[in-house]
Amino acid sequence: MNMFTRSDKVLDQSTQNTNGAMPAREKAESPAPTATDVKRPYASPQPISDVGAPHARTASVISKALKITGQLESTEDIQVDGEVDGDVRGHSVKIGSNAKVKGSVYGEEVELSGTIEGKIEAKKVVLTSTAHMSGDVIHQDIKIESGAFIDGHCRPELGKSTSKAVHAAAKPVVAASVTPVRDKTPAEIGPRA
Amino acid sequence: MPALSRLALVKLPLGSDDADSSASHLGKALRVRGRLDTSGIIHIYGKVVGQITADRLVLGADGYVEGDVVANDVRIGGRFTGRIFARHVTLDSSADITGRIFHHTVTVAKGARIDGRMPWRPLNYFETLEHLREAQL
Repeated sequence: MNMFTRSDKVLDQSTQNTNGAMPAREKAESPAPTATDVKRPYASPQPISDVGAPHARTASVISKALKITGQLESTEDIQVDGEVDGDVRGHSVKIGSNAKVKGSVYGEEVELSGTIEGKIEAKKVVLTSTAHMSGDVIHQDIKIESGAFIDGHCRPELGKSTSKAVHAAAKPVVAASVTPVRDKTPAEIGPRA
Repeated sequence: MPALSRLALVKLPLGSDDADSSASHLGKALRVRGRLDTSGIIHIYGKVVGQITADRLVLGADGYVEGDVVANDVRIGGRFTGRIFARHVTLDSSADITGRIFHHTVTVAKGARIDGRMPWRPLNYFETLEHLREAQL
């Protein structure tokens, strides 16, 4: 019974108004408005998350059980605790301590506690004590905690034109990273990135 | 509805160990192109193009998935194009599906849009799915 009323819904209401069986069906259909009301909350992002999204506040979480082969791209924050074989682009990207990324990580801010085999390109880079970085770090501002592992170049070249980048690469890394960044106004930094 | 929630609680072999740490949340702004593999739960509110293997998949109302999904339990509230292979499938009223849904049990809310077939399969079909997946998808 239920099955029929459901599939015939559209016909019932529009074309079969003369049908003798209509009143009974009408009754069966009467909860219809509530059903469509139920639909509305689902249109907003929250309701389905009652199904059990513990990370509702964080924009995106790649859990430790998840492996992604391919690219991730977001305009919001990304927390990676699992494994990514491919590039990651986000606003603020955090690579957790047991996470592994094979590929490039781009963002405004990148915080690495896990492993990256590839490249980091970000305005602000933080390598925590458990970080394991194999590859180059291209940044404007970098913080490296004691214990972090880096096998690659740290280049303060982000947002600079290629000719400048060549010069910057020739300079001692630390000096180059600290001075130019501090001298710039945010307005100067902004459009280049 | 009680029957439905009981279904959702059924623990199946792939099983999630610790729900909190094995749950992945792909936010609204996230776009993924590629393959997703997990023994836990994935909540998708963004856009995914590619294959997904999970214990449980929840596709939010604004989410979009294009590709094949293999899971124990699937709940769709958003747009989906492709094939679903899951023991238990729940389609919310906001679901918009194009493709095939291979299932053992299915729940469809009034208002869900489905364009495609929904073939029933015995439970053992899903046990061999890991191999099937490699061969077919």
